[in-house]
Amino acid sequence: MKKYSDLEFLRLSKWQKFCYRIIAFFCGIPGAIAGFFLNIGKTIQKGFQSFIAELKDIAITFTTGDWKTKVSYIVMGFGNLTHGQFLRGIMFLLFEIVFLFYMITTGGYWLSMLPSLGHQGPTKEYNAIYDQYTTTYNDNSFKILLYGVLTIFFIVAFIYTWRANVKQCKTINMILKRGGKLKRSGDDLRSLVDESFYKTLLALPLTGILVFTVMPIVFMVLVAFTNYDGAHNGYSNALFTWVGLDNFNTLFSWQSAGGGQSYSATFGEILTWTLIWAFLATFTNYFLGMFVAMMINKKGIRLKKMWRTILVMTVAIPQFISLLYVSKMFARNGLVNLTLQGMGLINSPLPFWENPMWARVTVIIINIWIGIPYLMLITTGILMNIPADLYESARIDGANGWQQYTKITLPYMLFITGPYLLTSFTGNMNNFNVIYLLTGGAPTNSAASGAAGSVGYTDLLITWLFKITTGAESQYYLASVVGIMVFVVVALISLVVYNLLPSIKNEEDYQ
Amino acid sequence: MKKVLALLLALTMLFALAACGGGGESGGGTQTQAPANNDNQGGNDNPPANNDNQGSNDTPANNDNQGGGTEGGSSELAGEYNVTIWCPDLATDLTKSQVEAFNSSNTMGIKINATVEPVSEADAATNMINDVSAGADLFFFAQDQLSRMIQAGAVSKLGQGASDFVKSNNTAGSLAAIQAGSDYYAYPLTADNGYLMYYDKSVIPDEDVDSLEKLIEDCEAAGKYFAYELENAWYNAGVFFGVGCHSDWVTDDEGNFISIDDDFNSDKGLIAAKGIYKLVSSPCYLNSSAQEGFDNNCAIIVTGTWSYSAILKSLGENMGTADLPSFNVDGTDYHLGSYRGCKLLGVKPQTDPKVGAAANQLAQYLTNKECQLQRVETLGWGPSNIEAQSDPITLANPAITALNLQSEYSVMQPNIHGSWWDIGKVITTDIKESDGSDDALRAALQKYYDSIQAVFTMSDEVKNAWTVIGAIGGSSWDVDFEMTKDGDVWTSNDTFDLKAGDELKVRQGKNWDVSYGNGGENYVVEADGTYYVTFNESTTEVALVPAG
Amino acid sequence: MATKEKTLVETQQRHMGMKALNRISNTAVYILLTVISIVWLLPFAFILLQSFRVESTSPVGYVIPQQWGLDNYLQLWNSDFKRWYINTFIIALFAAVFVTIIQLCMSYTLSRFRFKLRGPMMRFMLILGMFPGMLTMIILYRVLADLGLTQANAVPGLILVSVASSGMGYYVSKGFFDTIPKSLDEAARVDGATRLQVLYKIILPLSKPIVIYTILTAFMGPWGDYVFARYVAFGTSAGYNVAVGMYSWLTNDQIAQMYTTFCAGGVIVAIPVTILFLCLQKYYVEGVTGGAVKG
Repeated sequence: MKKYSDLEFLRLSKWQKFCYRIIAFFCGIPGAIAGFFLNIGKTIQKGFQSFIAELKDIAITFTTGDWKTKVSYIVMGFGNLTHGQFLRGIMFLLFEIVFLFYMITTGGYWLSMLPSLGHQGPTKEYNAIYDQYTTTYNDNSFKILLYGVLTIFFIVAFIYTWRANVKQCKTINMILKRGGKLKRSGDDLRSLVDESFYKTLLALPLTGILVFTVMPIVFMVLVAFTNYDGAHNGYSNALFTWVGLDNFNTLFSWQSAGGGQSYSATFGEILTWTLIWAFLATFTNYFLGMFVAMMINKKGIRLKKMWRTILVMTVAIPQFISLLYVSKMFARNGLVNLTLQGMGLINSPLPFWENPMWARVTVIIINIWIGIPYLMLITTGILMNIPADLYESARIDGANGWQQYTKITLPYMLFITGPYLLTSFTGNMNNFNVIYLLTGGAPTNSAASGAAGSVGYTDLLITWLFKITTGAESQYYLASVVGIMVFVVVALISLVVYNLLPSIKNEEDYQ
Repeated sequence: MKKVLALLLALTMLFALAACGGGGESGGGTQTQAPANNDNQGGNDNPPANNDNQGSNDTPANNDNQGGGTEGGSSELAGEYNVTIWCPDLATDLTKSQVEAFNSSNTMGIKINATVEPVSEADAATNMINDVSAGADLFFFAQDQLSRMIQAGAVSKLGQGASDFVKSNNTAGSLAAIQAGSDYYAYPLTADNGYLMYYDKSVIPDEDVDSLEKLIEDCEAAGKYFAYELENAWYNAGVFFGVGCHSDWVTDDEGNFISIDDDFNSDKGLIAAKGIYKLVSSPCYLNSSAQEGFDNNCAIIVTGTWSYSAILKSLGENMGTADLPSFNVDGTDYHLGSYRGCKLLGVKPQTDPKVGAAANQLAQYLTNKECQLQRVETLGWGPSNIEAQSDPITLANPAITALNLQSEYSVMQPNIHGSWWDIGKVITTDIKESDGSDDALRAALQKYYDSIQAVFTMSDEVKNAWTVIGAIGGSSWDVDFEMTKDGDVWTSNDTFDLKAGDELKVRQGKNWDVSYGNGGENYVVEADGTYYVTFNESTTEVALVPAG
Repeated sequence: MATKEKTLVETQQRHMGMKALNRISNTAVYILLTVISIVWLLPFAFILLQSFRVESTSPVGYVIPQQWGLDNYLQLWNSDFKRWYINTFIIALFAAVFVTIIQLCMSYTLSRFRFKLRGPMMRFMLILGMFPGMLTMIILYRVLADLGLTQANAVPGLILVSVASSGMGYYVSKGFFDTIPKSLDEAARVDGATRLQVLYKIILPLSKPIVIYTILTAFMGPWGDYVFARYVAFGTSAGYNVAVGMYSWLTNDQIAQMYTTFCAGGVIVAIPVTILFLCLQKYYVEGVTGGAVKG
C-alpha cells in the first residue's frame, strides 16, 4: 500500500482518510505480530544475558569477598549480622531456617511426587469385626499438585532472597571500602515510612494477590495438562496424572465428540454468541445510558436529582434478587405472559426463554435494564465536563442538536471513555451473573449438547465453563482449557483495541 | 531494600504453607487404621450389630441376633458420634426427631449427635463428589446418582449384615436400585421416585383423564397449561417405555459404565416421538414439573409424590390424581410410561470402622418400616419397605395410589451414565423444533442414538471380549461374568452352580448386538451341576464343562 | 423602520417558536423519564407487594395481594434467614474495611511512586485480570478447606478470599488519585514531611469521595455473591450468606412454599443497602466519574 506523508494525508477526503486508516491497520497486523515475536525473542535473549551476568556477579562477589561474605553464601544474613545490621541479618537467617525446615519436613515430599502426581489411590478394605468396608486415603493428586506448585513458588522466593543476601554483602563491602556508613536497623525502619514507603504499602496487597490469584491461576493452567475430572478426583477415587496436550487436542479436534458436533464447533458457536452478546450489551448500555443522562441533564428539566435517584436505586439492590425475580416474571407462565393473556393481547404465551432468538433478545433487553443506571452515572459526570463554550460556538455556527451530538458530544465521550468501553466489553464477555441468574443458559442448544454437557443458546463461555465444572462429569480439565481459551480471546481483543484507541497515551499526562 | 519486601512476601507465603502443610500431611502420608481389633478377625465374622429393631424401644429383645455377634457389637459400638445428615428441607424436622428416637431406642449404646442440614437430593450428590471429606456422613440422594457416587468414592459398600437387612425388607425393585455389580451401596428410603398426573377437577372432567388428546383439548379450550417436563430425559424416556422401547445400562463392580442397550431409534421409538410431538406442538404445553403451577394457570401437572402436600394446599378438593393418560397413534392406544425409582440414603466411606458401623446402624433405623411410614404420613413419600407398602397409611394416600396404578407402565430406573441426561433431553427439544414429519422425528432419534453411542467408545479389548450372562450365579440377566480366551475357545473365569432349566447366553462387548446361546436362543441347562461355561468363537457353540 | 420592526417581530416569533419547541421536547423528555422510572421501579414494587401476600405462597399471575399480612416476614424470622443475614453483614463489614485499606494502599502507591517493578507489575496484573475468575473457584475452595475455613466457617473464608485478591481492583481509585496534583505532595516533601505524613495529612483528606466509593462497593459486593459462596459453604446452612440461602427457595421443590418469603427476604436485604447507597450517592457518583473512566 502507498504510504502518505502527513501533508498528503491531510489533503485526503474524509472517506479516503477513513479507508486509509482501516487499510493501514490491517496492513500493520503482520508487522505487529512479527514485532511481537521479535520482542519475545529479544526478551529471552536479554533474560539469558542478565542471567549470565548474575551468575558472574555471584562468582565475583564470592572470590573477591572477605570470609564473612563467604560464610554468608551458606548462612544467610551472616554478613549483615557481623556488620551490625541486625534487623536484616536476623530476617535473612530466619527465612533460611524456616525454608530448610519446610523443605526437609514436607516440601521435599510434595516436590518428589509432582512428576507422577501420586502412585497409590484410595484402598478399600473389609473389616470383619464391624462388618464394614473402610477406606484408606493414600496419595492425593490434588494436594500434590497444589503443594508442589506452592513449594516451587517458595523455592523461587528463596533463591531470590539468597541472591539479595549476596548482593547485600557486596554492597556492604563496597560501602566500607569507600569508607561510608552502613544503614542501621533504625534507618531501615524509618525508610519504610518514607522513601521506601511503597514497599510497606504493597506488601500486604501483593501477598494476597500472589497466594489467592497468581497461585490458583498457575494451578488451574496446569490442570489443563492433566486428566483431573469427577472420575479422577485424585483423592476419593482414581488419581489423576499428566496427559500433555491431549485436552487441547480434544477441544480443537473437528471430530464429533458425542452429540452432533465436535467440541471445536460447540466452542466456536458459544464464542460467537459471547462476542455478539458482549458487543451488544456494551454498546446498547453505553448509548442508551448516555441518552438517559442527556435527557436528565437537559436544560429546563426539573427534579434532576429525583430522576437520578430513582435509577440509581436499582444499582443498590443485589442482582441476585432483581435478576431472579425478573427471570420468573418472563417465564412461560410467569407474570408478564399471564398479564398479557389476561388482557387478551396475546393468545399463546410469548416464548421469552424457550425460543433461542427471543431468549437472546430478552437477555440483552434485561441487561439494559440492569446496566443503564450505572452508565447514566458515569456519563453524567463526563457530559458535565464538556466545556459549554464548545456548544455555544456550535450553536452560533447553526449546528442543530443532532449535529452537536455527533460532532462534539460523541467524539468527546468516546475519547474519554475508550478504556472504559474496553474493560466493559471484556467484563461483559465474562458476565456470569446476568446469564446464570436469568436463563441458566436456556434454551437448550440440542446440536451442541452432548459429551460437552448441556449447552444452551444463551450460554457464554464463562457459564459453559461453570457448567463443565459442576456438571455431571465434572470435567475440570476441560474447564481449564476453556478458561485458558477465554484468556486468549480476551487478551487478543484487548491488545488489538488497545492499539486502536486514541485516548491511550502517556498516563503522566493526566496529572 | 527490595529484599525486605521479598522477605516479607516469602514469610507470609510461608505461613500459608505451614498452615496448609499441616492439613496436607494427612493426605500425603499414610494413615494407619485402628488395628486393635484385628486379632479376633478370624473368630468372629458375624455382623456384630444387625439390629432389626424397628423403632419400638420397649422390645430390646427383638434384636435379630445372628450368632451371638450382637453382644460384642453393642458394647463395641457404644459411644457418642457426631454425624452430619443432609436431607431435603421438608424432611429436616422429621429426620431430627427420628434420630432422637434412634438414640433412645437403640440397645447398643450408640448416641448420635446429629447435625441435620437441608440439602436437596440433587445438590447432595454434587456436593459429595466435589469434596467427599467435607461431605455429610448420611445423605439422601436420588438413585440415578449412585454410579457417579460409587465412582467418586462417595458412598460406602454395605457390609454383610447391612446387605441382609436391605434384602429382607425391601422390594426387588428398590434392591436393584442400590446394586452395582453384585454389591449393595446404599439404603432405599422410598420407592416413589416416579411421576403421576395431578389435575384440576374444575377444568378437567374425570372421564377425560385417560386420553392425552382429550386432555390437550380441554387445556387448550380452557386456555390452561399442561405441565409435563418432557425436556428432561427422566420424563421423555417414559414415553418411549410406554410404547415398548427399552434402555438398559450395564455397569461393572466399580460402578463404571460399560455399555447402553436401547432402541429409542426404532419404529416403536417413532410412535413415541409422535406422542411427544402431540403435546409439545400444542400451545398448552409447559415444560415444567413445578408444583406451584396450579397457582399459575396450569390445569395438569405431571410430577411426583413429593409435590402432593403442596398441590393439595393449592387445589384443595379440586385436586385429582391419576396415572398418566394414553395417546393414540394410527388407531392404537399407547399408555404413557414412566420411570420408577428410589430415593436412597447413602453412607459416606469412613476411615474408622467403628464410626462406619454406627452410621450404618443409624441408616438402617432411618430406613426401617416405622420411619418410612412416618414419611408417608408427614411428607407423602411412598415407601420401599415391603410391609410399609401394604400398610393402610400408605394405601390412603391418593398420590401413592395413582403411582401404583402407573407402576404397571413404568420401568425400574437403572444406574444411568451422567451424560445421558443431557443427551436424552435433547430428543424433545429436537422434536419440538421439527415439523412433526416422520423424517424429522427419525432424524431426532438418530441424533440421539449417535450421541449416546459416541459416549461409549470402548476399547477394542472390551468390545471383542465375550461374557456369560443369564439367570446364574445369583444374578438375573444383569451381571456379565468374564471369560478368558485360549485359542478359539473362551472359558468362564468362575464356575456356576446350575440347575436344569436355567438359561444363559454368551455375548460380546457386554451388549446384545452379538450373542449366542443355543444358536440365537437362550442356552438351557440340561442337568444340575457345577460347570464352567465355554464358548467357541469359530463355531459359535456354547457348552458346559463340569468343574473339578 | 418597517424593516426593523419586521425583523424584530421575526426574531420574536422565532424566539417564540424555539420556546414552543423547547416546551414540546421537554414534555417529551418528561414523559420518557416517567416511563423509564416506572419500568425501572416496577419489579421492585412487585417484590414489595408480593412480600405482603398471605393467600398463597407460590408465584401467581397477579401482583396486588388479595389478603395482606406479615406472614412472610414472620416466616423469615423463623427460618435460618437471620443467620444468613448476620453472616452476610459480617462479611460485608469486614470486606468494606479491609478491601478499602488494601485497594487504597495499592492505588495510592501505583499513582504516586515510581519504582523499578511498577510497570511490569501493572502489566502483570492486567494480564492476570484476563483469566476468568470462575476458574480458580475449585482450587480456592481446597485452600480454604485445608485452612478449615469452609462450610460452617465459610464466613472468615469468604472474607479472606475477597480481601486477598482485592488488590487487583485498584484501577478506579488509582484514576482518582491521578487527578490530585502531584505538586501538593512535592510541596509537602520540601517542607520535610515523610511519605506517610503526606498520605494521611494531605492525600486522604482530599480523597473522601473515593474512600467512600470504595467502602460502598466493597460493602455491597458480598450481598450478591452467590456462586463462590455456595461452593464454599455447601451443605451447611450456618455458613450461607443471603444469596445462597435465598436461592434455594426458588428451586423446584421449595418455590411453592417459599416464593413470597423470597420476596420478603429480598425486601429486607435491599433496604439497608439501598438506604446506605442513597445517603452516600453523591460520593459514589464522584468516585465513579472521577476514577472509573480514567482507569
